[in-house]
Amino acid sequence: MATDKDPNKYLPLTEATYYIMLSLIEPLHGYGVMQKVEEISQGTVSVGPGTLYGAFSTLEKEKLILKIKEEARRKCYTLTPKGKQVLLSQIERLEIMTGNGKSVKESLV
Amino acid sequence: MEQKSMRKFRWFWPWQDEAQEAWLREMSQQGWHLTAVGIPINYDFESGEPEDFVYRLDYQYHSKMDKEDYLQLFSDANWEHIGEMSGWQYFRKKARAGEDLEIYTDAESKIGKYQRLLVFLGILMLPLFFSIINLSDPPYDWMSTLQVLIILLFVLYVYMIIKILLRINQLKRL
Repeated sequence: MATDKDPNKYLPLTEATYYIMLSLIEPLHGYGVMQKVEEISQGTVSVGPGTLYGAFSTLEKEKLILKIKEEARRKCYTLTPKGKQVLLSQIERLEIMTGNGKSVKESLV
Repeated sequence: MEQKSMRKFRWFWPWQDEAQEAWLREMSQQGWHLTAVGIPINYDFESGEPEDFVYRLDYQYHSKMDKEDYLQLFSDANWEHIGEMSGWQYFRKKARAGEDLEIYTDAESKIGKYQRLLVFLGILMLPLFFSIINLSDPPYDWMSTLQVLIILLFVLYVYMIIKILLRINQLKRL
């Protein structure tokens, strides 16, 4: 089989999950993720603790992230290779979406 | 003599978490702040300065929860944990400009909370469901109080489940 279907099973990611995964390319704890998402999304997406806790649980269960160390009493997570694959697939999907959006943007204004 | 603390009894249905949140906020605005929640539904308050506290309720299964990590996340986001009751976790935060006042910041994760609740109620409902199936056997006297009670409880559970499904439906979006 040419294409690995696995990553696509998880797509599309919600905005929150997408940004959470982006933040976990490098190891980071929950507090850091909340701050980073706010920052890199330029305030368009914020992640509350309920949402984040649920995302961590699901992502960990699906083996897309894993706990790797503890810093200041907070557990740090990072993406697994499978998680990186899923994120990459999502980014490629978004590139198609924004490409389509850009080409019609002017006609919508 | 000035009252320093008080206890109120109030019944809320499982799907009325937002109504609870609104009521607790009003109480705080009047200077009564929640200190504990217990079973049966009693709420303990202590008196203090009126504050605009936003209260939020979460629902989690005890066995599946990493309590420490969970509470640390909320604490990092400036939510104060007040207590818990039957899986419901009570948090509050001062309402200030620029503060994020939701613990669930997207519809999908909020729906997850109600789905957990739904599963829990569904499981509780199973023994009743099986009892009702058994009721249709000939030896039973239909006017028995126990049978009526079982049926009423079953109807109540169905009603609760429908209410929660409606709530989930409200949250679903494009």
